[in-house]
Amino acid sequence: MIRILVQAALAVTLLACASAGAHDLSAGDANYVEQLRGSAPGTFAYLGAKHMFTGYDHLLFLTGVLFFLYRGRDILLYVTLFTLGHSVTLMAGVALNWQVNAHLIDAIIGLSIVYKAFENMGGFRRLLGRNPDTRIAVLVFGLCHGLGLATRIQAYAPRGEGLATNLISFNLGVELGQIAALGIILMMLLAWRRQPAFNGQAFAANTVLMCAGFTLTGYQLAGFVFA
Amino acid sequence: MTTKDGQLVIATLSALAAAAVMLLTVILPAEYGWDPLGTGDLLGLTGLSVEDANALANEPGAWQSDAMAFELPPFASVEYKYRLEQGQTLLFEWQSDGEVVVDMHGEPDGAAPGYAESFRQSRGRRNSGSYRAPFSGVHGWFFQNRGETDVTVSLETQGFYSHAIEYSEGRELRRNF
Repeated sequence: MIRILVQAALAVTLLACASAGAHDLSAGDANYVEQLRGSAPGTFAYLGAKHMFTGYDHLLFLTGVLFFLYRGRDILLYVTLFTLGHSVTLMAGVALNWQVNAHLIDAIIGLSIVYKAFENMGGFRRLLGRNPDTRIAVLVFGLCHGLGLATRIQAYAPRGEGLATNLISFNLGVELGQIAALGIILMMLLAWRRQPAFNGQAFAANTVLMCAGFTLTGYQLAGFVFA
Repeated sequence: MTTKDGQLVIATLSALAAAAVMLLTVILPAEYGWDPLGTGDLLGLTGLSVEDANALANEPGAWQSDAMAFELPPFASVEYKYRLEQGQTLLFEWQSDGEVVVDMHGEPDGAAPGYAESFRQSRGRRNSGSYRAPFSGVHGWFFQNRGETDVTVSLETQGFYSHAIEYSEGRELRRNF
C-alpha cells in the first residue's frame, strides 16, 4: 500500500510539473492566431489537435474511459458520445457567445476524472449497488469539455469572416488529436492488460488517476480564486 | 472487480490527501505564489509565479520624442523610419486628413537593398500603438496618397531611437536627435 502511494505521488508530481500552462494556447501560438484575419483552416485544425494531444486533463479522462473497455464497438460508442457532447457545446458556445470561466470548467473536467476513476474502482457499484449509466456520464462530460474549448477558442478566433470555417477546422483538429491520443493510450492499455498483474494493479492505477483528478480540480479552483 | 468498503474509503481518502498535500506544498506556491506552509520558499518555488519577469526593459539611451507632418499631393509618397536596436520599443500615433495607403515595415541591418519585413499594410486615416523591434535596423512607415486632393499626415512617436531617416522624392534626409 505504501509503495503504491509513493508511486502515485511521484506520478502525479511529474504530471503537475509538466502541467504549468500546457493546457492553454502557448504564447507564441496565441500571438500568431491574434494576427489572423478570415479563415485559416490549417492553423485552427492544428491548434485543435495540439490542444487535445497536449491537454493532459483530456488524456487522463480518456484513459479513465478506456480503462475497462475491451470491445471495439464500445470504444467507438463512448468516443462518439464524447465527441458529440463537446462538438455541441463548442459550436453552440461560440455561436451564442457564451463566456464561462475557464477555471471553473477545468475544475469540472478534473472532477470528471475523479468520477471515472471512482467508477473504475468499483465505487458506484459498492455505493449505489449499480453503475450509473456511463453513456450519459460520458456525454455530459463531453458537453463540459466542449464548453471549456468554446471559452478558449473565443479568446483567439476573430469573429465574423471565416469564423465557421475556423470553428469546424478546430473541431476536426480536436477529433484528429483525440484519435492520435486514443491510439497511444489504447496500445499501452492493451499491453498492460495482457500482464497477469493487471487486475491487481488496476485499483491502484485508478487511485492514482483519482488523485490526479483531485489535484487538477484544486489547481483550477485556486486559479479561479487567485487569478 | 469486487471492492471492499474499507479499501475504497482508504484509496479515495489517500487520493484526496495526496492531492491536497501536493497542492498546498508545491503547486499553489509555484503557480499562484500562495504559500500557506512556507514550503514554496523552502524549495525556491514562489518566484515562478511572479508576473512576466520580462515586463521591464531598461534603456541606456536617451528618451526621445518626435512629431512630423508630411504634406502629400495626389500620388506622392513619403517614407519615415527610425533607428532601433533589437528589442527597443517605439510608441506611435499617426493621423491623416484623407485616406492614405500605409505600409509599416523594418529593414534589418545588413539586408539586401530594398529588402523589408512588412508588419502592416492597410489603408486608413489613423493608427496608434507600440512597436517592439524584432531585429536591429530602421523601422517605420511608407505613406502614399492615392486620392485626388492633398492630404497631410501627422506622426508622433516616443522612444529611444538615435536618428530618423526621411525618404521622399528620391532624397534621403537624416534627422539626428
